[in-house]
Amino acid sequence: MSTHREAIQKQIQQDWANREYIEVITGSIKKITDFLNSFDMSCRSRLAVLNEKLTTLERRIEYLEACVTKGETLT
Amino acid sequence: MPLPKRVVEPVHVARGTIPDHFPLPSELEAVTNGTLANTIRQLSSLSRHAEDLFGELAKEAHGLSDRANSLQARIDRLAVKVTQLDSNVEEVSLQDIHMRKAFKSSVVFDQQVVSRDTMPTAMMETYHQCDTPPPLDKLNVYREDGKDGLKFYTDPNYFFDLWSQEMLKDTEKKLHDRGKKTDESEYAEPFREPHRPRNASGGDAGHGGGRHKKRVRQPHNTRERQRQIAVGHGEYIMPTQTVQYRVPHQQQLPEEALLDMVMSDLNKPPRPNSIELTRSYPSNHQPDKQQMMYAAMNDHYRTANYGGQLSGYEDSAYGSHYAPGQTQSGSDTYQSPGGPGTPSRGGRNRPSQPPPAPPSNASSNSNTPTMNSANNTPTRGRSMSTGRETLPPPPPPPGETMSPPAMNGSSRFFYVHELCLKGLFDHFLNIYVGTIPVHLLNQRNGSRSGSPLPNHQSTPTSIMPVNMMVGHHQIVQLGVDETESSVQDLPPPPPTPDPAPVTRPDSPPCNIPPPPPPPPPPPLANGPDSIGQPQPLPPHPLTNGDIAKMIVNNPPKLKPLKSIVDGQLRKPVNPNIPAAVDPRNDLLKAIRDGIKLRKVERNEHREVERGNPLNDVASILARRVAVEVSDSDSASESECDSEGWNEHDTSATNVA
Repeated sequence: MSTHREAIQKQIQQDWANREYIEVITGSIKKITDFLNSFDMSCRSRLAVLNEKLTTLERRIEYLEACVTKGETLT
Repeated sequence: MPLPKRVVEPVHVARGTIPDHFPLPSELEAVTNGTLANTIRQLSSLSRHAEDLFGELAKEAHGLSDRANSLQARIDRLAVKVTQLDSNVEEVSLQDIHMRKAFKSSVVFDQQVVSRDTMPTAMMETYHQCDTPPPLDKLNVYREDGKDGLKFYTDPNYFFDLWSQEMLKDTEKKLHDRGKKTDESEYAEPFREPHRPRNASGGDAGHGGGRHKKRVRQPHNTRERQRQIAVGHGEYIMPTQTVQYRVPHQQQLPEEALLDMVMSDLNKPPRPNSIELTRSYPSNHQPDKQQMMYAAMNDHYRTANYGGQLSGYEDSAYGSHYAPGQTQSGSDTYQSPGGPGTPSRGGRNRPSQPPPAPPSNASSNSNTPTMNSANNTPTRGRSMSTGRETLPPPPPPPGETMSPPAMNGSSRFFYVHELCLKGLFDHFLNIYVGTIPVHLLNQRNGSRSGSPLPNHQSTPTSIMPVNMMVGHHQIVQLGVDETESSVQDLPPPPPTPDPAPVTRPDSPPCNIPPPPPPPPPPPLANGPDSIGQPQPLPPHPLTNGDIAKMIVNNPPKLKPLKSIVDGQLRKPVNPNIPAAVDPRNDLLKAIRDGIKLRKVERNEHREVERGNPLNDVASILARRVAVEVSDSDSASESECDSEGWNEHDTSATNVA
């Protein structure tokens, strides 16, 4: 009887250990997910800022080019 | 309901890990193993999403780096070019400056950034898990109104359509308003005599463009609002406005009229925008009546036109262009066709009531003539004649059947065209006043000093062959008349009396015979386009000086007008070209070259515009911005000319 109880206790302890292990793993997965999300957001915001700057620069360059170049005439 | 972009699956790692009917030595171990397996599945899913995520980021970053590289190259090139610039060496001729093409940005704005195409793949996967809409489009064959049945269930373009319709309508309205304003400010200047009756009838109509613009727009808005309110409250305002047209001629009690209006209003869908969807149902009842109305009304206009009434010009103009919705003179004639229309209506709803004026029921067919313009299509009717709505229809004075007193779209339209022709005459005559034949000057003075009234009184056909310069006035008016029966069977403009026809081969644009049928001269490649697409845009403030400037600066829109001008106007000019070597000839040449060359560019542009109709956000917004900008400063020449000449294109088309 006592051995049976010991076996059950052992199984439960083992199960708790396994659950802790799984918890660690899933926690790590969550961390990875969080990181990926934040990384994604951060990258996108930076890329958006960059995109904006590039657009502004392109417009300015276009304006400067139009100023500098002689331009086609209608002849 | 928000959809997560990426879902790491399975969500519940420990659920369902014990098989149902399977003996297990140790359930705890089974749960542990199953949970671990699900965790690994989660990891794999996560890695897949991470790959997708990084892929997107990499793609975006790659695009940015490409742009940055190209930008760097451009900067380098620009730097080299700037260092090589030397203002002492290069000389810029004035001609080049004038001939330079307008700068056109090549920046393409993103459109439809949130659409099915730009949906990221992760989202697309989630999207595909959704249920498809029921296949309602299979019932389309049984629909009689030709609408897509699925769009009653779901219509992704609904809001865009709504928006674009609103925008386009707004733009149209602005154009109309501007047309009205320019029209009146236009009349105030060169034709003060005929304008006076309009001033008297239209109240404070002609106090100058700037103030008048605001005053026009203000009642416009309030009226629109009131109309909405009235529609919402069962059409209370309408009868009071129509009463003054109806009661004297109709012997109908006001209550009956009001009931009639309300009854008809019940048929209307509540929302103007949703009319089209439900249009077929209510309007099934009265097609015959509408037909009868139209027939009777057309008869009226024919008789009015050819019966020699005093307001023949205006009526014909109404009858041809705006007959259903816009006519306001001769209100009694509206009622007479209503008589035959009563039985059908009476049989349907109120057997004992003889409604003499069947009101327009729902839908876009709201242009039955019994309503005055308040009941008509709101945009045009109201913007055209804001000042006159509250007045009883003024019978045109017998002695002065000049167009201004009863000015609506078409007559005003031709009137302005007329003005522009005059401006052209003035311009050309001013330029070549030294070389112009004396008799032409005399003719011109005759047409100027003699008030236009006698011209209008006399029959056009009799005057036209006699005097060219005066006759152009009548050509236009005749065009109005003839459009009633058929636009095309205009008598060709008579051969010009004096100027030598020898000059025609001299200049390519002038090789059009005086009877200008639609085909314009060869360099005007897209003349037929503009003819085939008459755009009833309102005229613009064009004083004579402005027209002259426009001719020099932005001649391209002249196309069909020039066909007339070439046939008639150029002739006094051209004979002198080979003979006298004059500094003014250079000017002429420059003008002509400018006309040709810039015309080509403008035409291309317009063709491009025609190529893509207003179906995307950018073009609609661009058009709206253009309209607003040109509205804010109506003196700006470019817009002025672009719209104004457009107007004359169509009018010239009608004349041709």
